[in-house]
Amino acid sequence: MSFIPRSALSKVLVAAPFLLQASSALAQEEEVIGWGIVSDNVAALILFTLFSGVVLYQIGQARRGKELFIRRIAGLNAVEEAIGRSTELGRKVMFVPGIGTVGEVETLSALSVLKHVAKHCAEYGTPLEVPNKDPLTYAAAREAVKEAYLEAGRPDLFNEEMVPYLTYDQFAFTAQVTGKMVREKPAANFLIGSFFAESLLLAEAGQSTGAIQIAGTAQVAQLPFFVTTCDYTLIGEELYAASAYLSKDPVMLGCIKGQDIVKAIVLLWIVIGILVLSATGSTIMQDLLNSSLGN
Amino acid sequence: MNFMDWITNLDRRWLYLLVGVFAIVPLIFPLGMPVNVSPAVQSLYDHVEGMNPGEIIMVSMDYGPSTGPENDPMACALIRHALSRDLRIVMLALYPIGGVNEGIQELQRCVGDLDPPNGVLESTKFPGKIYGKDFVYLGYKDGGLATMRQMNENIHEVFPSDYWQTPVTEYELSNEVQGYDDVNFAFSVATGIIGEWWANTVNAQFGLPVAVGCTAVSAPKYFAYYNAGQMFALLGGLKGAAEYERLVLDNYPQAKADTEEQVFYAAKGWDVQSVVYSIITIFIILGNVAYLLERRRTRMQL
Amino acid sequence: MLKKKIPVLLCFLAGLLPIISFFFTSPGDGLREANDTLEQWLVVVSGFALLLGVISVFQVNLRKISNRSKGWVNAIYLLASLVIMGAFGLMDAFSEMPGWGWVGTSGNTGFNWIFDAIFQPLQSTMFSLLAFYVASAAFRAFRARNLEAGLLLAAAMVVMLGINPYVVKVLPFLPEWTRWIMNGPNAAAQRGIIIGAALGAASMTLRILLGIERSWLGLQEGE
Repeated sequence: MSFIPRSALSKVLVAAPFLLQASSALAQEEEVIGWGIVSDNVAALILFTLFSGVVLYQIGQARRGKELFIRRIAGLNAVEEAIGRSTELGRKVMFVPGIGTVGEVETLSALSVLKHVAKHCAEYGTPLEVPNKDPLTYAAAREAVKEAYLEAGRPDLFNEEMVPYLTYDQFAFTAQVTGKMVREKPAANFLIGSFFAESLLLAEAGQSTGAIQIAGTAQVAQLPFFVTTCDYTLIGEELYAASAYLSKDPVMLGCIKGQDIVKAIVLLWIVIGILVLSATGSTIMQDLLNSSLGN
Repeated sequence: MNFMDWITNLDRRWLYLLVGVFAIVPLIFPLGMPVNVSPAVQSLYDHVEGMNPGEIIMVSMDYGPSTGPENDPMACALIRHALSRDLRIVMLALYPIGGVNEGIQELQRCVGDLDPPNGVLESTKFPGKIYGKDFVYLGYKDGGLATMRQMNENIHEVFPSDYWQTPVTEYELSNEVQGYDDVNFAFSVATGIIGEWWANTVNAQFGLPVAVGCTAVSAPKYFAYYNAGQMFALLGGLKGAAEYERLVLDNYPQAKADTEEQVFYAAKGWDVQSVVYSIITIFIILGNVAYLLERRRTRMQL
Repeated sequence: MLKKKIPVLLCFLAGLLPIISFFFTSPGDGLREANDTLEQWLVVVSGFALLLGVISVFQVNLRKISNRSKGWVNAIYLLASLVIMGAFGLMDAFSEMPGWGWVGTSGNTGFNWIFDAIFQPLQSTMFSLLAFYVASAAFRAFRARNLEAGLLLAAAMVVMLGINPYVVKVLPFLPEWTRWIMNGPNAAAQRGIIIGAALGAASMTLRILLGIERSWLGLQEGE
């Protein structure tokens, strides 16, 4: 059972006054502002409520057992193939959860995929290595891998050296990981998470060793590098959908459906905005959005 | 094996060797490649030209030594441009590894050696420009996005002292700048994501005009923000740096003399980049010709 | 059970505070104050987490040395570098404390010397590898194997030639074409991905805040 009861929104509403009270107690300023809505962010609040409402409604639908369809994501279907290949070759699987901190949603998505990969590695007895750059991500990754081995019933195969911390520096980290790729030749490389200038260095080094490579990031600038050097790439939202896709959990799929409905609304907004602007020269649709950003 | 077979099955190390050789030669023998200024770069130059003397620019050093060759010339060109026009500069660093060193290095490269704790405050390169009055360096603060948000509340709380640990209230300039409202615009010299935060948080939420100088690999991403109006100017990689440098050098003789004294500056980097681009282009064309010939030969055999 | 619920509850509360403080004001601006405090905590927690990382580096590499595992000599270099750089950094930090004046500026000098003479060139070297890797990746990827790949190749050629100053002298229309590709199809595709990714991130955040998504915590659905 999930921590949040069926009516998640009610929980949010119950918790909010408590939080407001608790945080106001921390206030140090004498100036009395009072309760209210930040006027610059009213439109954003409407969008936030709309988004949350649609997603929560879809979660409710999913809980009631409504069948939900999610399109095929080739990169995620290839996860088992990649681990299987490593198992056959008797070589390790390397999973790099990006260089972002655990505060980034992208990193959390990567950790969800990591848990899935680690579980398969534990089941097949395939060696796994998860090098880390960010210390908080390192702590979370170690915990996720440990749990995965426990769940797979193979805690004996887990050791802490599987999830090493390398360094906080981006390029020193890259040097160590590419060195490991070239020397130890993992048969499968997962480059999933938040990546920056090191993306091509890691992916090209992995490509030169002939490893099967699955990448995933929401960093748009790095996507071309992954697409040209990796066998499969999870593009932007596919990465965020990964845990739902892999777990096939209906509630999570409900979230994805809610998100897609909001995307359709956004697209509709854009199309209407273009039509209104072209026909009348009015920028009303754009102005409404700008006010949501406080501009 | 004929040439086309060699190209088709090219060992990547040959390509590395060629790129290496053609990167070094223009550094030793500069070619002085022409530069065409793009609107995104011209916009920064025009904005600075349109500012009144005494107005303040916030320069955020959001990169480390790794991207220095691309980012350093951007920072230098802006500092020289601003000081030449009697504008004032507040510098800070948000990039964790080496941002603070890049900041002091580039500042001293432009204004000359400083030692404020021992009273060396005046710039040797821009006589009359005084540390604390015309320019100030607040040093580094950890926290990235959280720090940027806090700066909107009160910069003095985020940076209570400058790079040399002197309280910021002791200098006229840093004492004056308490929030984003006190500066004309922010220029983020960035690698990675910090430049994006300036656009989608500081500009979008707090309304401060933002310009970014980014690395070439990030430029396509930053163009989306530029086109959306979340930054009013964008210097993309060495090309953008060379364009801005050209504009400054053509109009400010002192900046030209100082820049050309350096071992490396954007125009030289642009020479290298142009040559390497040409090599890559030639190889892509050759690779495709070989591929198409090979495909034709295979079809004819069938 | 509580052990598993507490992290999810903390995550929920910590995630909700910035959202509420973004939308609402409170007496004495307490919400914003609380949110700022939370953000400062994050910085402090990250600092302590780095210690965990350093401990891991020592554990893994000391074991490597004691077991004489493959590459154990490199582990010695790594630990020596860590200790030397760390020592200079600490000396610099301590030099301003009472009773530590004898350290003088040696910490700062040593740290800066290593930074300028070793760290900086190594960093630039790693980043400059991109030039080589971009060349080989582009050479391999840009092949007109089918219509889509052909279009990609054509766009790449226009952009690469459009910024080459000598080619532009012969074909002066190319920069305009380059700008069109960058500001038109390129920016449109990038924005499409950014919008999708932003909504994906928002949906993922909601799943995390509501405790639906918990595998990142090492917990299973239903725990």
